[in-house]
Amino acid sequence: MNNQLKKIALFLFLFLGMAISHSMQAQGRKTVTGTVIDPSGMPLPGVTVQEKGTTNGAATDFDGNFSIEVASNDAVLVFTYIGMASQEQAVGTKTNLSVTLQNDEEALQEVVLIGYGSQQRKAVSTAVTKVDTEDFNQGVVQSPLELIQGKVAGLQITRAGGNNPNGGTAIQLRGVTSITGSRSPLIVIDGIPGGNLDLIQQNDIESFNVLKDGAAAAIYGTRGTNGVILITTKKGSKGAAAFTYSSFVSRDYVNSKPDFLSANEFRQAIADGIISENNDLGSSTDIFDELINESNLTQYHNFVASGGSEKSNYRASFYYRDAQGIALENGREEFGGRVSFNQTGLDDKLTFASSLAVNLNDANLLGGGQFGAVTSWNPTAPINAPYNISEEGILYNPGKYGFYQPENGFNPFSEYAERFNERKQITFSGDAKLSYEIIDGLVGSVFGSYQRNNWNDRYYRTTQDYAQYNTGSAYKGTGYAYKGNHTDYTQTVEPTITFNKNFGDNNIEVLGGYSYQYSTTEDYSMDNNGFTTDGFEDWNFGAGNAITDTDLPRPSLYSFKEDNTLIAFFGRLSYNFKDRYFLQASLRHEGSSRFGANNKWASFPAVSGAWVLSDEEFVQDAGFINNLKLRAGYGITGNQGIPNYQSIVTLGTGGKYPVFLDGADGATYYQTYGPVKNPNPDLKWETKKELNIGVDFGFWFNKLSGSIDYYTRRTEDLLLSYDVPQPPFVQGSIYTNVGDITNNGLELALSYRVFDEGEFKWNVDFVGSYQNNELTTLSNQIFSVSELYGGNIGNPGNLGNAIRNTEGGPIGDFYGKRFAGFTVDGQWLFHKADGTIGRASDMTEEDKAIIGNGLPKYYASLTNTFRYKNFDLTVLLRGKFKYDILNTVDLFYGNPSLLPGNVLTSALGQYSNISEAPQYSDYYLENGNFVKLDNLTLGYNFNLGENSPFSALRIFGSARNLATITGYTGRDPEVQDTGLYPGIDDRNFYPRTVTVTAGLNVNF
Amino acid sequence: MGILLTIGCTDLEETTYSELSESNFYKTELELVQANLRPFTHMQAWLAWSGQNGYYYHNELSADQTAWPQKGRHGYDNADHIRQHYHTWTSQEGRLNNAWRLMWTGLGFVNTAIESIEAVDAASIGVEPERLASIVAEAKVLRAYHYMKIMDMWGNVPIVTTVGVPTNPATAPREEVFAFIEQELLENVEKLQPLSQKLIGRMSRAVGYAMLSELYLNAEVWSGTPRYAESIEYSDKIINGEGGSLTGDIALDQDPLGPFNNTNENSPENIFQFPFSRKNDFGYSWASFYMGFTNMTAALDVNYSGNNAFVVIPTAFDAYKENDIRKQEWFLFGPQYRYGTNEPILGSEEYNGKPFVYVNNIRRNTEGQTGEGSMTDGEENSGARFFKYRSGTQDDPNYLEGDYVIYRLTEIYFNKAEALMRLNNGNATQEAVDLINESKMRYFTEEDWATEAYTTTTLTMDELLAERGREFIFEGMRRTDLIRFGEFTTGSWWDHTPSGDDHLTIYPIPFRQLQANPNLVQNPGY
Repeated sequence: MNNQLKKIALFLFLFLGMAISHSMQAQGRKTVTGTVIDPSGMPLPGVTVQEKGTTNGAATDFDGNFSIEVASNDAVLVFTYIGMASQEQAVGTKTNLSVTLQNDEEALQEVVLIGYGSQQRKAVSTAVTKVDTEDFNQGVVQSPLELIQGKVAGLQITRAGGNNPNGGTAIQLRGVTSITGSRSPLIVIDGIPGGNLDLIQQNDIESFNVLKDGAAAAIYGTRGTNGVILITTKKGSKGAAAFTYSSFVSRDYVNSKPDFLSANEFRQAIADGIISENNDLGSSTDIFDELINESNLTQYHNFVASGGSEKSNYRASFYYRDAQGIALENGREEFGGRVSFNQTGLDDKLTFASSLAVNLNDANLLGGGQFGAVTSWNPTAPINAPYNISEEGILYNPGKYGFYQPENGFNPFSEYAERFNERKQITFSGDAKLSYEIIDGLVGSVFGSYQRNNWNDRYYRTTQDYAQYNTGSAYKGTGYAYKGNHTDYTQTVEPTITFNKNFGDNNIEVLGGYSYQYSTTEDYSMDNNGFTTDGFEDWNFGAGNAITDTDLPRPSLYSFKEDNTLIAFFGRLSYNFKDRYFLQASLRHEGSSRFGANNKWASFPAVSGAWVLSDEEFVQDAGFINNLKLRAGYGITGNQGIPNYQSIVTLGTGGKYPVFLDGADGATYYQTYGPVKNPNPDLKWETKKELNIGVDFGFWFNKLSGSIDYYTRRTEDLLLSYDVPQPPFVQGSIYTNVGDITNNGLELALSYRVFDEGEFKWNVDFVGSYQNNELTTLSNQIFSVSELYGGNIGNPGNLGNAIRNTEGGPIGDFYGKRFAGFTVDGQWLFHKADGTIGRASDMTEEDKAIIGNGLPKYYASLTNTFRYKNFDLTVLLRGKFKYDILNTVDLFYGNPSLLPGNVLTSALGQYSNISEAPQYSDYYLENGNFVKLDNLTLGYNFNLGENSPFSALRIFGSARNLATITGYTGRDPEVQDTGLYPGIDDRNFYPRTVTVTAGLNVNF
Repeated sequence: MGILLTIGCTDLEETTYSELSESNFYKTELELVQANLRPFTHMQAWLAWSGQNGYYYHNELSADQTAWPQKGRHGYDNADHIRQHYHTWTSQEGRLNNAWRLMWTGLGFVNTAIESIEAVDAASIGVEPERLASIVAEAKVLRAYHYMKIMDMWGNVPIVTTVGVPTNPATAPREEVFAFIEQELLENVEKLQPLSQKLIGRMSRAVGYAMLSELYLNAEVWSGTPRYAESIEYSDKIINGEGGSLTGDIALDQDPLGPFNNTNENSPENIFQFPFSRKNDFGYSWASFYMGFTNMTAALDVNYSGNNAFVVIPTAFDAYKENDIRKQEWFLFGPQYRYGTNEPILGSEEYNGKPFVYVNNIRRNTEGQTGEGSMTDGEENSGARFFKYRSGTQDDPNYLEGDYVIYRLTEIYFNKAEALMRLNNGNATQEAVDLINESKMRYFTEEDWATEAYTTTTLTMDELLAERGREFIFEGMRRTDLIRFGEFTTGSWWDHTPSGDDHLTIYPIPFRQLQANPNLVQNPGY
C-alpha cells in the first residue's frame, strides 16, 4: 500500500517537474545536475528542486538524480522533501551538486510541558500527549475540552446530557481509578493547579498537554492519579501589534426524537379499546416539539490584541458568547477576557509573567429538564385551557390562569410562564510568576495564583404557579422565593528553583519546589413564601408572610463553610547522555488536611527513562527509520479528591425536639446534636502505581509517525464506606482504605501524511485505545464488601440497580434477570438458576446473573484532514466498541402497562403483547457499538494581496454529531461511559442534536 | 501578602465550620439535653411508619393486619414486602439490615450522650449534680427501650454501653439482654419525674412503668420465665396514677380518635409519644406509606401524598363488626370523594379516570380475577386503608400537629387483663373482662353494647388477641403480640399459610453484620 502510494506520488512529482521545465524559456542559462541522498547514503527519488525566488523547479528521479536549468551562477537551489529538513545550495560555478538531506527533527524539537517545567519532545520519557491549536476540533460550541475529543488515546470526554449549554462534561483518563474519590484528571491552566475550565475559552488555548502515566503525573502527588491536563494559553509574540477577530454562529437540530404516541395514535388506541374513552381530552399536542427551541442560535465573538517587543509581550482577549440550548428557557450568556503580560529585564535575568482571566455568565436554568413531560403528557391534552372544575362535558382543568394543569403530571409551559431559575456567575483567576537567573543555569521562581468562583442563584414561583395555588398546596396561593450564594476560592503559592548544566555529553536539570494550596467554600441560601404579590419576586424577602404565619411552610436559612489545605515539597532530576539516553526521577512529599491524624503525609516517587534508538548507528542503517524511541516509566500517585472532614467525629443537627425550660409556659423546640460519622484517624490517600512502556516512532521520513503505549496501573487503598460492627459504633459504616482497582490497556496514536506535497494534502490521524478495568479487591481481613450496586433504574416498580460490580470482576457488569420469553398472556418469563423458567414473582436474588457490561473496551477515532489550494476539510470519525447499553426508554415506555401515560409507538406495536409491568432483564440490553461522523468541517483561507487590510482571513462551516452508524435502537449510543455505572441510557430526555456552525477568523 | 505569609506552614489540622467538633460542645446544660434528645428524634426513622426499613415495617408487614402488595406496575420492590408477608425472609434482606443499622445508631446516640454527660464536671458548667444524674437516668431508660425493641427483633444481641468498645462485641443470649434491660429500668425508672405536659415525648416515670409492664408481659418469650405478676404490678402503678399523666387523672380517652388526632398531646390516656409539630419544624412525614398517590390528596384536603403502599389485609378488616365505630373511623373504605363534596376521586392507575373505590380484597378485579388473590395481584384500590391518625385538613390550625403514640393507657389495660388471664390458666377473670370492656365499650352504641360486652366465658385468649388486634391496628406491635400468643408461626390469615417454624419468631442477624463482626452469632435456624 505504502509503496504504491509512493510510486503514485513520485509519478505526480515527475510529471509536474517535466511540465514545469518544458514551459521554461532558455535564455543564457546553465544546466545543473546532481544527486540527492539521505543520511544513510540512499538516493532520494521525488525530491523537489526549486530555484529560489522563481517558479522554476524539477524533481529527482528513481536514482535521486536531477537536472535543472538555472538563470545564472547566482541561483540558489532549494531541496525539499517530505520528512526531511529542506536545504539551500548556492549554485556558483558548479554544474554538479551532491546533496545530503538531513532528517527533519522539527517534531522532536517540539516543546512538551511536563509540570513545573518543559522538555523537548525527544527528551520525554513518560506518556505525554500534546495537542496544538491546529489539531483542535473545529465547530466546538460548549466545553473547551471538546477541542481534543478523539485526539488523545485513552482520554474519554463525554457529554452524556447532550449539548445542553448548562450541562457538564465528564472526563476520564485510562479508565476508572477510584470508587468514591475523584475520577477526573487534574486541570492545570498556565500553572494553576485545579484551574477552572470556565476561565478557558477556545481561542485562548495554545495547547493541551496530557500527562497520562504515573511517572508523568507523580510530580502532582495526591492529585495525579487521574492524570493531569496542562492547558497553556496563547501569549503575545515579538513583532507588530496584531488583531484577531473570530466569530461563529451555530444552531442545534434535533437528530432523534423519541417515538411517542401522537394524538392520532393515542385516539386510535382509544378506538381500539386499549385505553378508555375519557382519556381523549379533545386537543392535539406534540409536547416534545413544543418544548423545542427551534430558533436556537448560539453566537460567539472574540477579539484579541497582541504584540510585543524584545523585552516584553502582551495579549488581551475578550469574548462574548450567547449559547442557546435546543430546549426553551435553556441558555447561557457569557463574556469575559484574558490578559497576559510578560517581560524580561536585568540583562534578561529577571522574568515576569502574569495573566488575569475573568468570566461572567448568566445561565437560565429553568428549561431543559422538562422533557420528562413527554412520558406523562396526554397527547390529546391542550397546553392552554380555561379553568373548569364543575361544568360537565368541558375539559376538567384546575389550572386557573389559562394553562391546562393535568392531574397526574405537570404543564411545562405554565412553569415557564410563572417561574424563573437563573444563576449569575463570576469566575476569576490571577497569576504571576517571577523568575531570576541567579547564576548561569540556576533559576529561582515564585509562582502565585488566586482563583475565585462565585455565583448567585435566584428562583421564584409566582402566586399564579400551579404548585402555589392548587387545592392541596401548602403555600395557599402565595409566591415562593429562593436565593442562594456560593463562593469558593483557592490560593496557591509555589516557589521553585531549577538548575540546568551540561558537562560534556552529560546534561542535568534539577528542580526543587514547595507548594501551598488553600481552598475554601462558603455557601448560604434562604427561602421564603407567603408572598401575596409577585411585585417583589425575590427582592424583598421580609415581605413573605411565612416568617410569621406558621400555617405556611417554614422559611429556611442555610449557611455552610469548609476548607482544606494541601502542602507539598517536590523535586525532579532529569539527566541525559549524548541527547540519546534520558533518565528522570521525581519525588513529591505531600500532606493534605483531609486525611486522618496518623496519615496526613505521603511520598510519591517516579522514575522514567528513554532511549533514542534512532540516534544509534545500527538503527540508522535501516534507512526508513527516522525516529525510534523506547520509553519506560513507573510512578506512584495519590488521590485526595474526597470530601473534607472524613477522618474526625463531627456533631450534626438531628431535628428539633421540645424542651421545657425552667419557668417556661410551653415547650421550645431545640435542635438536637449527635455524631454524624465514625472517626477514622488512619484515613489516607488512595495510591496508584503505574508502569508505562511506550515506543515513539517515525518511519519513511516521518511520513508515518506515532506512538504505542502499554500501561498497567493498580490503585490501592481505595476509599469506600465499609460496614463496621454496630454496636459498638454509632454509625453503621466507616470511610476507610481497603480495595484495589487494576487497569491495563494499550494506546495507539498514528499519523500518516498521505500527501504532503503540492496543492493537495491529506493527513490521517488515528487514535485508539483498549482498556481493561478490574475491581480487584474490595475486602481485607477486617472490612469486606463483595459487590457494589448502582445505576438505579427507578420507578414505577422500584426496579433497583442495573449494575453490580463484583470483587474480582470487571467494572460495569449488568446484573439482572435473564429473559426467557412471555407466557401466552404476555407475562414475563425468566430463567431461574436451577434451569427452570418462572414468572417475575418467582425470581429471587440467586436467579440473577451477569447479563452484559456497559463499559466500552475499545475507543477509536480517525481524523482525515484534506487541503486543496485554499480549502481544508476535516472529517472526524469516532467510535466506541464492545459494550452493552440498557435501553431504559424501551424498558419503561415500550410497555403498554404504562398507558394511559404516553408510551412509545412500539408499546402498541412490537411490544403490545406485554401484559405485565416493566421488569429489568437482558431483554433490554443492546450492543452499543457505534461509529459517529462526529465532526465535518470545511474551511477556506482567502488569498490576500499586498494591499489587503487583513493578514489572514478564513471562513469555515462545521457540523457535529452528523451521523451515527450503530445497531443500537435508542436515541444515541453515546451514553455515560465514565465512572462505575456506565452504559445506562437513562430517561433523561434532553434531545440529542446535530450542531451546525459557520465561522470566521480575521487577522489584521 | 497574606498568601506569602503562609509559606513554610505545614499545619494540616482541620477546622470545622458547619458541624461541631466534640471539643466545642457539651458546655452547657442545654447542650447536654440537646445531645440527650438526639436519639429521640432519630426514633421516628425506625419506630414509626414513616421509615420503610425499621422496626415498624417489620413488626407490621410480617403480621396479620397490614401488607404491602404489588399493585400493577407499582410495589414489586424486589419482592421485599412479599417475603415479609409469606415469612420467607433470609439474612440477606436489605431492609432488615437497614433496621439493624437504624436501631443501633439510635443506641449509639444514647451511649454517646451518656458517655459525654458522665464525663462532664457538673460544677465547671454550673449544673447541679442531681440534675446531671437525672439527665443520665433518662438516657439509660431510653437505652433500655432501644434494647427492648432490638431484642424483640433479633433476640440474641451484644450488650454494649460504651461507644467503640469493644470493637467486636460478642452476642449475648436473649436472657442476658433481658436481665440487662430489667436491671437498667429498675435502677433508673424511679429517678425519673412523673409524666406531665413538661415531659411530653420524654422519659417519664409512667413511660418507665409502661416499659416494665411490657417487658414482664413478654418475659416468658424473651427470657423463658413468666413474670406476669410483675407486669400487673407496673400496669397498676400507671393505672393508679403513680406515673403521672399528661392532663388531669390518667384515663381512657372516650373519643375514638382522641389519642390519634392532631391535638393528641392533650389525650388523657397517652403516656409516651413523639411530639411532632409542623409549626416547630419537626413535622411528621405523613406522606409516606399509608397515604395514597396524589389523587388522594384532594380526598383528605391535605397537601401531601404518598406511595400507596400499606394496605389492610382483608381478614383483618373483616375482624371488625359493621357496628364497630372503629371500622368507620379508623379506615378509608369504599368510594372516595373530594373533601366535603360528592365529587368522586378518580383513579390514576388501573382505574385511571374512573371513580376510585377502596375494596376489601387484593386481586386483579379489572382483569376479572376472583378468589382471595395474592401479594402480587394488587391494584391501586386494593384493601381498606389507614385513617386512624388524622393530620386534619389544611385550614385546621393544628394541621399536621399530631403526635405519634408509643404507649397509651389502653395498652396497659390490655397488658394487665392478659397477665391476669395467663395467671388464671388462660381463663378470663372478672377484672380482666372489666378492663377490656372498658376499652371496647367506647366503640359501640348503647343498644349494641348489650350484645357486644365480654363475659368471663366469651373473653377467651383467642378473643383477647383478636380484640387486641382491633384496638392496636397500625400501632406497630402486632408481630410481638402474635408471637406472645403463639400464633405467629401457626396462624393463617388471608393468603398466608403457617410455616410452623419457630425460628421465624426472631429475625436473622443481617448477613452484612455477621461479615462486619465475627463475634456475632447467627440466630438458630438461619
